Amino acid sequence: MKGYLGIDVGSVTTKMVVLNEDDEVIAYNYLRTGGNPVKAVQEGLKDIIERLDPLTTIQAVGTTGSGRYLAGVLVGADTIKNEITAHAVAATCLIPEAKTVFEIGGQDSKIIIIRDEIVIDFAMNTVCAAGTGSFLDHQAARINLPIEKFGEYALKARNPVRIAGRCTVFAESDMIHKQQTGHNREDIIAGLCQALVRNYLNNIAKGKELLSPFLFQGGVAANQGIKAAFERELESEVIVPPHHAVMGAIGVAILAQEELASRGEKTKFKSFEVAEADYQTSSFECGDCANFCEVVQLSLSDQPVSRWGSRCRKWEV
Amino acid sequence: MKRIGIARSLLYYHYFYLWKTFFEELGVEVVLSSPTNKKILENGMKKAVDDTCLPVKLTFGHLMDLADRVDYLFIPRLVSIEPDAFTCPKLIGLPDMIKANLENLPTVLDTCFDIKKGISLYQSFLELGQNFTNKTALINNAFQKAEMKQKEFEKTMEKGLTPEEAIDIMEGSPSPANNNPVKPRTEDLKIGLIGHPYNLYDNYINMDLIEKLRQGGCQVITAEMLPAPVMKKEAAAWREDIFWTMGRKMVGAAFHFFNSNRVDGIICCISFECGPDSLLEVLILEEARKHKEIPYMSLIIDEHTGEAGVVTRVEAFLDMIRRKR
Repeated sequence: MKGYLGIDVGSVTTKMVVLNEDDEVIAYNYLRTGGNPVKAVQEGLKDIIERLDPLTTIQAVGTTGSGRYLAGVLVGADTIKNEITAHAVAATCLIPEAKTVFEIGGQDSKIIIIRDEIVIDFAMNTVCAAGTGSFLDHQAARINLPIEKFGEYALKARNPVRIAGRCTVFAESDMIHKQQTGHNREDIIAGLCQALVRNYLNNIAKGKELLSPFLFQGGVAANQGIKAAFERELESEVIVPPHHAVMGAIGVAILAQEELASRGEKTKFKSFEVAEADYQTSSFECGDCANFCEVVQLSLSDQPVSRWGSRCRKWEV
Repeated sequence: MKRIGIARSLLYYHYFYLWKTFFEELGVEVVLSSPTNKKILENGMKKAVDDTCLPVKLTFGHLMDLADRVDYLFIPRLVSIEPDAFTCPKLIGLPDMIKANLENLPTVLDTCFDIKKGISLYQSFLELGQNFTNKTALINNAFQKAEMKQKEFEKTMEKGLTPEEAIDIMEGSPSPANNNPVKPRTEDLKIGLIGHPYNLYDNYINMDLIEKLRQGGCQVITAEMLPAPVMKKEAAAWREDIFWTMGRKMVGAAFHFFNSNRVDGIICCISFECGPDSLLEVLILEEARKHKEIPYMSLIIDEHTGEAGVVTRVEAFLDMIRRKR
């Protein structure tokens, strides 16, 4: 059986999917990157092979997410694509009539505007990660509630409190204030969800033409409270696709398949043995000029296989 | 020979030849700071006022790079360079910010340029020249030559060159771009790039944006590559006068790109803490909404050293334009 592998190495989580020839998901996983993308990719590969029919052969591989170059070198990717294109491709593949895609991940939030299956506009959060998954994670930990329960609690709220959503630091002090004056957890959590959505719509979606059907993707889409807050603000249904957390990986698997078909080439995938290989990353500061570039090196059994990060490219292998 | 230091930042990208020629004609050697590097950035972050924008912070770093090597630092106070507009408040206060925060500086020449107040460009240069000579004829001659050379500089950029590339040509040194081992693909897209020259042409701070676009198959067109009257006309068509000279140029270029149908996409690059740009971007966005056929993206730069943000946005923007075809 033919399989197409998509790998999305995000700031907080690493996602993998294998699609069949009809672009259907036959296996997927979702792991924490845990600050070590190499290990995350290797663990992900070990895990996904367990979920596959042993007769599956990987025909194409694509990588996306902020760790896409590292992952691409590691596995031998056929295509390395940015996450906006990957998310858009996955969205239109699933729901061709989709017009607006909200994507909220660990450090990034994006909006993608699609018309007639083509991206016509997009935006990403700028220098601030307020209102992304990391912040929700942090708040969940602070109030001692598993993040998976966040949405459930939000839906139970009777009187959501108003929380400042503009800045994570202010939001947190607002939440603590509300908690100390005696508001219950449900109302605070629901208030936070509404603040996050308000902030998203006022900043990232500022000036965009928001038309339904709306799709909500990314890890944060698992949170029913955020979905409900979007629906309340937009007064419209928001669709959370079944594989919402791995849409980037799905998109890049489709792109890899397309790319190889158009070039008529065979995959550069190095095989699942990559998962067992002794890969190490290290970094050093090059002192040859005043730029002091931070050069990263990927080694296989102590032999450098790739380097990046130097402005002048002199360290590239 | 006396040596005067000019920071490779802010209005260096606008006025390099005007300043350089003037000083050289008066027998003063011009010393430029190094192109922005990590040390300059770090020094700037350490010494500059916290609330100011990145380009001003960088200027602190550039001046620190020069301080030990020169007899004078040229930090002009540009209040107004057009009869009916101002420069930005941070440029107006620049010499004060520098003198208040940096110690052991060589003599600072902070000549005031204020056309709105009725001080002509010539009068300001006369005052500046008097630091080096009391012969008015010599200063007049230097000023004339400086203006001519500056015009030549502007004309050279209109051929589609960045200020640094134009300087390389005028100085007769080979452009490093020609030695780049990575051959660009054929250019199939035209991108209008708007923003202040000190953001667009400082490769360190914008993560090599122009080179990245060129490598990605784009011909890049900026305001500096357009004839000045084009932008004046476009900006004048706006419903009100724009208060800031640099903003006029930016909005003029943006309107030109939106209305002339000569580009496939427009990128507006601004620095995070820029006050004027935060307002002007709204005007540009308003115009973008009227021209949905031309994709528009804004790119905000700050002190991060990770390239991922810029790379992802640029790649996605170019993908979007190409997949639309």
